[in-house]
Amino acid sequence: MKFSGKTLAAVIAAAMIVSTFSACGSSGSGSSTTTTAAQAETTTTTAAAAESTEFVTTEGAETAAASDGDRIIAAAQAGKVGNWGLGNEYEILALLTKYGQENRFLSQAFDMDGFDDDSITLASAMTYNELGLVQNSYEGGYGYGDSVGIIDMNNEGVAMLEDNLFCTKAFAEANPNTVKAFISASMKGWKYACENPEEAAQIVFEAGSSVSSDHQAYMASEVKKLVETDTNGSTVTDYGKMDEAAMQQTLDLAKQYISLDDSTAAEKLQALTLDDIRSTAYWTDAIAGSFDAPEKTDVSIQLKWLPQAQFMGYFVAKAKGYYDEVGLNVTIVSGGGDIGETTAVNNGTVDFGVTWVSNLISANAGGMDLLEIAQVYQRSGLVLVYKK
Amino acid sequence: MKAIRKIVNSKAFVTLVWIAVIIIIWEICAARVAEVKRTPENVLPHLSGVIDSLTSDRKINGSQTALGMVLENAGATLSRAAVGYVIGIAAGFILALLMSLSGIIEKIAFPYLMLIQLIPILGMAPIINAITGDIAVSRIVIAAILTFYPVAANTLAGFKAVRREAHELMYSYAANKLQLYTKTMIPACIPYFFTGLKISAPMAITASILVDTLQGGIGLGCLLSQSLKGAMTRYVFWDIVFFSAVIGILSFYIMGLIETLLCPYKRLEKKGR
Amino acid sequence: MAAKVNKKRRSAVQSVVCPLIFGIALIAAWQTGLLHIVLNTDEYVLPYPTRIITIIGENSDKIMTNVWASVQVAVLGLIFGSLLGYLIAIFATVFPKYGSGGLTIVSAFNAIPIVALAPVIINWTKDVSSEAEVRSAVAKVIVVTVVSMASMSVNAYRGLTELPPFSDDLMKTYAAGRLTEFVKLRLPNSVPYIFTALRVSVPGSVISALVSEYFAEYITGVGRQIRENILIAQYSTAWAYIVTACIIGIVMYAVLMVIEAIVLKKRR
Repeated sequence: MKFSGKTLAAVIAAAMIVSTFSACGSSGSGSSTTTTAAQAETTTTTAAAAESTEFVTTEGAETAAASDGDRIIAAAQAGKVGNWGLGNEYEILALLTKYGQENRFLSQAFDMDGFDDDSITLASAMTYNELGLVQNSYEGGYGYGDSVGIIDMNNEGVAMLEDNLFCTKAFAEANPNTVKAFISASMKGWKYACENPEEAAQIVFEAGSSVSSDHQAYMASEVKKLVETDTNGSTVTDYGKMDEAAMQQTLDLAKQYISLDDSTAAEKLQALTLDDIRSTAYWTDAIAGSFDAPEKTDVSIQLKWLPQAQFMGYFVAKAKGYYDEVGLNVTIVSGGGDIGETTAVNNGTVDFGVTWVSNLISANAGGMDLLEIAQVYQRSGLVLVYKK
Repeated sequence: MKAIRKIVNSKAFVTLVWIAVIIIIWEICAARVAEVKRTPENVLPHLSGVIDSLTSDRKINGSQTALGMVLENAGATLSRAAVGYVIGIAAGFILALLMSLSGIIEKIAFPYLMLIQLIPILGMAPIINAITGDIAVSRIVIAAILTFYPVAANTLAGFKAVRREAHELMYSYAANKLQLYTKTMIPACIPYFFTGLKISAPMAITASILVDTLQGGIGLGCLLSQSLKGAMTRYVFWDIVFFSAVIGILSFYIMGLIETLLCPYKRLEKKGR
Repeated sequence: MAAKVNKKRRSAVQSVVCPLIFGIALIAAWQTGLLHIVLNTDEYVLPYPTRIITIIGENSDKIMTNVWASVQVAVLGLIFGSLLGYLIAIFATVFPKYGSGGLTIVSAFNAIPIVALAPVIINWTKDVSSEAEVRSAVAKVIVVTVVSMASMSVNAYRGLTELPPFSDDLMKTYAAGRLTEFVKLRLPNSVPYIFTALRVSVPGSVISALVSEYFAEYITGVGRQIRENILIAQYSTAWAYIVTACIIGIVMYAVLMVIEAIVLKKRR
């Protein structure tokens, strides 16, 4: 027991010194990791963005494009543009680049608290989800009403297509009739859901939804708009069709703004063509009704997010028995966790998935072999919301 | 007077005072938050609000109240936690036994046993999922991996703590290896084994909640991330926070209780006092 | 005597060589695809070691930026948490009645899952600074602090109270005051227990730093990169960061072992 308090004192003192030292370091090192390779292109406006002159009337039409630009620049300079990241950020990066801003954003939580307390002044929101929470005053809502304005990605010319339907190439080749039958019944579900959004909302709510019935109803009405309107504002009547131009714009933007650290994957990304990521053949046959009995009857689909009206078509198709009609027994698996829908489909734990086209592109660049078989959302549902 | 003093001096009273202090601090902060924030329940709700949300009979989703939802999801999570825990215990005990039987195995396994703790297991979840092919199985496996280290490490410490004299005594009786283990080693390591069990019981629960968030479905973690993401009332989130804390603490005491029930030495200790 | 030293040395060599051989065998199985067959997986989910190392090499600057961010959070949180935990243990020793109750409360924090703790603390620290980078760092450090506090307080309390038999009687015969008893007997006695606590909280601090990055506003850190890359299905890159995270943990643990060896050796 020769040990004296001195050694201990020395250890504690050393710890104190280290801690003060590191504290200085933490405020001093100011490098951002979200600044990506795309930063080099900051000044070049994208071709897609230059083309966009058309202005689709949406709510908040009085906000001229110029002042939207000012808003974006101001928020970007202050470092208060928010997005969730994790593969949802590419449209925002394209928008920031369009206005000559650095590709930097804050990680937004999956609620709108950051927008509410002004730590984020230009917050990402999906028209059918977060925007409704910001504006409406039902449960979970923030009740801002008309005192907030939005910047629409479709109007800004940086729209990328979102919710689609996909499976692996191998699965599609081995089970063509299952795929066609699934598309056929699902699109029938989407049609019914868009014609009867209130009923669809109720069906989702009863299927064990994660959100309140009021918000579910709001979501259904907004999702309907995304499914039935394309990026130019024209009406779409063929549910699930793949718009060539919009798909190409999505792929082009993806190549510019998805930055991959893995050089092999980055090279593969640049080499991707539309034929590598989608096939229209299954959808065409499915809509024409030309398919035989499914090869695999018990199938599952993983959603991109929590069970909510964003995916009402599938819930309706299940509830209304459309899947039974084509001889399929469908399990709906909700998403929203770290095992993404691309991973789950690729490793065969589920057969079908709903993802954003950009996520499918990066997955294929990373080495997966996924195939889009239908494009449910025809325009981007992402907006930036600000307080007027 | 004496009775009062006895109550005031009791351990339960002290704990109650602490809980009261925490509640008071919480409520003061909550009152302050309620003044300055637009959605105070997202930051720090009044405890009354949390209790209200548990007792209210309003339906949160199609069919369930907040309490019903929390309990149903807790059932799923706790049962997975229990299975993972049992597997983790078995694996930990067997590994500790093997390590104590063979020095070579100990030398090989011990650094890697430590390494397992250092791996961000959540990051590896998709890989485990790909191997098992089923999310429920992956959740159990991950919970088992996260809990087995304390059991293995403590049990091994128990084997090592067997007094040299006891060892030599058994040797002089010409006891074989089996006898050595069943008569001295295993009984001697049991207190250590239970220490491991007590440490890892709350870990099994928090680990299960953590792995729930990997994918949708039923489970406390799924519900937790849903209530953080969706338009569901935020009180569900707070319900889960409190619920998981209480369950975690209870699990520690339950293991203590089991130890007392199963092990004669614990009962003797109690009597001796 | 010589034989004994020899035996000791052989045992020391064994404890390095055996795990090393196992590790090399494992990596060899991994690289040759044997591991993929055993685990029934593909080189996509489990990329070859050479591929992972290539990616680490290609992105060393970016990885170092993220490592630095995570290490700062883990180390700061560990230090604050351990100091706080030790202070709580001292408090509990000096005021045994109310202190041990407080100890129970502190260890209760450990029962709250970190996925619940992190978002709450990030919400609570919104007003700390207008700079997202600063407030995110503060929030992450607090999460790690809370996690490492509990194990330190419980272990240090044991160290301060479970004294060698008769030692406090001895102190009494010396007519030592409470303060002297504390400094000369209790503090030194608690040193090995501090290291027991740190052995638990060093890995804990790394893991909790990584998980808290998932929720932080300012996007940085190894944990965030792991999640980001897994979600956009870039498994090779995710693996590069997983390996990096393991190295952080191993290095911190090794540093702890060295410090422990130095400090405890002096005691003998």
